[in-house]
Amino acid sequence: MEGVVSKLPSTFKFINPNFTIRRTTCIKLKRTISYCSSSSSATALVESLSLGHITRPDFPILHQEVNSSPLVYLDNAATSQKPSVVLEKLRDYYESYNSNVHRGIHTLSARATDEYELARKKVANFVNASESSEIVFTKNATEAINLVAYSWGLENLKRGDEVILTVAEHHSALVPWQIVAEKTGAILKHVSLTKEEVPDVEKLKEMLSEKTKLVVTHHVSNTLGSVLPIKDITHWSHAVGAKVLVDACQSVPHMVVDVQSLDADFLVASSHKMCGPTGVGFLYGKREILIGMPPFLGGGEMISDVFLDHSTYAEPPSRFEAGTPAIGEVIGLGAAIDYLSGIGMQKIHDYETELGTYLYGSLRSVPLVRIYGPVPSQNVRRAALCSFNVQNIHATDIAAILDQQYGVAIRSGHHCAQPLHEYLGIHASARASLHFYNTKEDVDAFIAALKGTIDFFSS
Amino acid sequence: MALFFSSPSSCSSLLPISTNTPPRIIPRNNNKLFFKPLTCSISNSTKSNPIYSSSYKLQHIVTEFKSLSEPIDRVKRLLHYATLLPRFNELGRVSSNKVTGCTVQVWLDVRMDEFGRMRFLADSDSEIMKGFCSCLIWLLDGEFPEDVLKFNMEDLEVLNIGSYGRANSRVNTWNSVLISMKKRTQLLVENDLPSLCLLH
Repeated sequence: MEGVVSKLPSTFKFINPNFTIRRTTCIKLKRTISYCSSSSSATALVESLSLGHITRPDFPILHQEVNSSPLVYLDNAATSQKPSVVLEKLRDYYESYNSNVHRGIHTLSARATDEYELARKKVANFVNASESSEIVFTKNATEAINLVAYSWGLENLKRGDEVILTVAEHHSALVPWQIVAEKTGAILKHVSLTKEEVPDVEKLKEMLSEKTKLVVTHHVSNTLGSVLPIKDITHWSHAVGAKVLVDACQSVPHMVVDVQSLDADFLVASSHKMCGPTGVGFLYGKREILIGMPPFLGGGEMISDVFLDHSTYAEPPSRFEAGTPAIGEVIGLGAAIDYLSGIGMQKIHDYETELGTYLYGSLRSVPLVRIYGPVPSQNVRRAALCSFNVQNIHATDIAAILDQQYGVAIRSGHHCAQPLHEYLGIHASARASLHFYNTKEDVDAFIAALKGTIDFFSS
Repeated sequence: MALFFSSPSSCSSLLPISTNTPPRIIPRNNNKLFFKPLTCSISNSTKSNPIYSSSYKLQHIVTEFKSLSEPIDRVKRLLHYATLLPRFNELGRVSSNKVTGCTVQVWLDVRMDEFGRMRFLADSDSEIMKGFCSCLIWLLDGEFPEDVLKFNMEDLEVLNIGSYGRANSRVNTWNSVLISMKKRTQLLVENDLPSLCLLH
């Protein structure tokens, strides 16, 4: 069935006939425009609208009031919202063909299995894996990293071996390796930041040696917004015989990610950050590496034959998918990938780059604000998120007022990157993170609300 | 930093004073958090009033926060209470006093006085969190250990400020503070059981 999945479904539509233009600052501006494909003026209007304006109607959740204000959702690095097509796909699964996969001979089970495996192919195509068996579904990216740690890590690491990570890793990429290091005697080494507050890849390069067995690195930092040159890192790492595990949770939803081009050995991402349902993540692993890895969890699905005293294990990816998987959610992820592909990841990335730069510039103009991570420029790429602090006001207090008074949703805390915050000399930060369905009006509303919040605490 | 509701005089009476309520709390001399039956439950008055049980005070504070229909008004009230939090000695900002698992920093000082009652002090780098701590201390400072240990977080959900107060949220710092208050109370009880028995 390889190759049956189209990356760009010809029938796919993402333009909703009714869309709403958000308020500017605190004034709600609502317009409903009838879209008609045969009307040249309407077509011209749609073409002149931003991707955010065009896609917002596809996300029902965005059209609500929170604490008496129109919702401004800027917590996309934590989780993304889901378009109607994903919600409908989930509903259709549970209404039409809910059944267990890979087991039943009956029609519903066969259909569920087809859809489940089709979703695997969609994921494989989305990240350009050479075959769909290189995609293992997990419950989230954290489990995917743990899978590599407990299966590959415990099998391959021994005392004195080195694992290189950056100080900016998410806890889910730090803690599993701490556990494995404790069990195996492997040594963890951490790459610090440059003065531009980007993980120092030159230092990483210097740290590589024949002792290095694994490099664990994010693609895009969930706090700094920095983007690392994964292709260079895999090239240097492979030269010393080390494998590379890429945490791509913040890149896969926002840009074209090609595992073959990056030459990553392992790459993980999360469905819920890419407009798919919660409860699903995936691990990409090179076929030849996955084949050599022992099971992570034991149970049904992952076996070939079971005897009372021993079992033989199935081939990847089944070997790593013990028990009934999150069938509906995986199928929903497939629908999310169709939706993203329908727009085009390059288009999403280009729009987010523009909007992210607008966010950075707007936020930088607010007095007493300190933004972490690199300054975006022609040469420095930066994801569409800003972690920041306001002098003398706690990030969590800011987030609380933004929510309660203005209906603006941002994250506060350490964003599961406590060591990075420690490194930066702070205990917490606030973070506004964008997705393609955000607009400049969202950014303006956030900035106005932030200024109001600062006044609130300063008056 | 000037904060909203900085003057307790803006509060009006909500619940009647019951002078027949048996005294339960022995206030510290330097503790400004005495119960005063105003809309603002917690007052910075230094005058001692008849003392009320934590359950009575809980009912009072729940009523007070329920009367604030706008979320922002609850924030303002908490910020006001933050200003009434008793001073926390800088020297107490040590790791052993730090409440773990919080997205804001909170330090907690827990002691048992000579009457076997629990004494709490807290501090935070978040103003809203200080407000929560102020409420918790007002409710539990001076209580006997068994009353602290049986105190239920769910009773205080009305004070919720967004995800700040959700019982199961990762960012629920003030649940962590209450758990820490209980744990450290339990430890003190276990270490000082004989003298406690004598007091009761």
